Amino acid sequence: MPWNRPLIIGLLLVVLTLTWWRLQPDGEEVRRSRIMMGTVVEIMAAGQSSKTLEAAVEAAFAEMERLDKLLSRYNTDSEVSRLSQSTTGGEVSLPTVEVLTLGLEISRKSGGAFDMTLGKLKTLWAFDKEAPTLPNAAELSAALSGIGPKALSLEGQQLRKASPQLQLDLGGIAKGYAVDRAIAILKQHGVANAAVNAGGDMYLLGQRHERSWRIGIQHPREEKGVLETVQISNRAVVTSGDYERFFEQDGVRYHHIFNPQTGMPARDCQSVTIITDSVALGDALATAVFVLGPKAGLTLLEQFPQAEGLVIAADGSRHSSPGWTSYQVVP
Amino acid sequence: MKAPWHFMTGGDWLVVLLLLTSSLGGIVSIAAMSEGSRVLITCGDELCFTAPLDQPRTLAIDGPLGQTKLVIDERGARIVESPCPRKICVSMGVAKHTGDLLACVPNRILVHIDGSSGKEVSYDLLSR
Repeated sequence: MPWNRPLIIGLLLVVLTLTWWRLQPDGEEVRRSRIMMGTVVEIMAAGQSSKTLEAAVEAAFAEMERLDKLLSRYNTDSEVSRLSQSTTGGEVSLPTVEVLTLGLEISRKSGGAFDMTLGKLKTLWAFDKEAPTLPNAAELSAALSGIGPKALSLEGQQLRKASPQLQLDLGGIAKGYAVDRAIAILKQHGVANAAVNAGGDMYLLGQRHERSWRIGIQHPREEKGVLETVQISNRAVVTSGDYERFFEQDGVRYHHIFNPQTGMPARDCQSVTIITDSVALGDALATAVFVLGPKAGLTLLEQFPQAEGLVIAADGSRHSSPGWTSYQVVP
Repeated sequence: MKAPWHFMTGGDWLVVLLLLTSSLGGIVSIAAMSEGSRVLITCGDELCFTAPLDQPRTLAIDGPLGQTKLVIDERGARIVESPCPRKICVSMGVAKHTGDLLACVPNRILVHIDGSSGKEVSYDLLSR
């Protein structure tokens, strides 16, 4: 036998083994997208059985649809719509209690920067319609009358409205809550690695391809730009920005995140990203920090040790909480 | 004088075959470089969804006329169902190369393929 024959055979075996190893799938991955809650909801789940994953993802979507029907102010049959139409409030379901309890806490701690009583104001601006409009001072004053954190109170499952005209809007927290519930359903089905992403409000469960999830954060002024990338596991990431829904009039940008004190778009930030342990909390905090601005916003985050934040101020300057760097991917 | 292949053993042929396969794979990879990396979907005037081109999925996109169904698979991205009257978008075929565009004008949906920078996407999802 020529001396090099065993060498050639050995090399071939190595090449074949490597090729075979690379071709082996890491397991199954199911990725489904649906348009719901006014946005695209995407669920990715990885595991060993695609059948189990499909069932888990379907159940998670069903839970989100159920909550959307309960908490959306656009659905006239929803609990939120019923409460808005009532003069004094009424009994609410347990999911609504959970959302309201968290929302009222953030509302109180943020001094009203996060507010669930902006239903009339949001209807007035009509950002969800084809042509949003700039309201006049009288319209704004009427929409802000009787609103604020003290206009709502919750005792057990009884919600009380201070004003009959008060209209609820849980848009700043309900989507996050629905993502949290979807993750809980996936866990119940034994899914250990998954992502639920509702228009950028997301929770990253476990890992992706045996590493932490890598999440790009949208640059607020470059449509296809990424501000930075973070790597996380078992955490929520939520970004609120003035670029999501806006119109310009006379050179001024009017966006959809409102300062409850003025009824006008909050002016101190371009974007806020929160990383925390639940999407509902992240959703509410992102809005509150956006309204408060970089300095007061990051002070608010000190009350939530489980939350870290990145704030891009109106002038484009970057501000972050002390623990933010632990999530950053170094380029 | 005998031709060189008369001296080649079975193992030598195997090595040649392996090299040819690798070369062919390389050529295919280079050709694939002109393929886009992401699908960008615009609903009305807003970018409403982006997805990697190499991950199969089916997506229902809401427009003023109803839902347009987009399929992304190994062939690329294509519209398979649309509520628009003339179904021009369905007959547009597959988009897979950078700059390719599919459009349903009546339903105000645009699908285009991005990736001209040639940069690999460094994240799994985008928070926006």
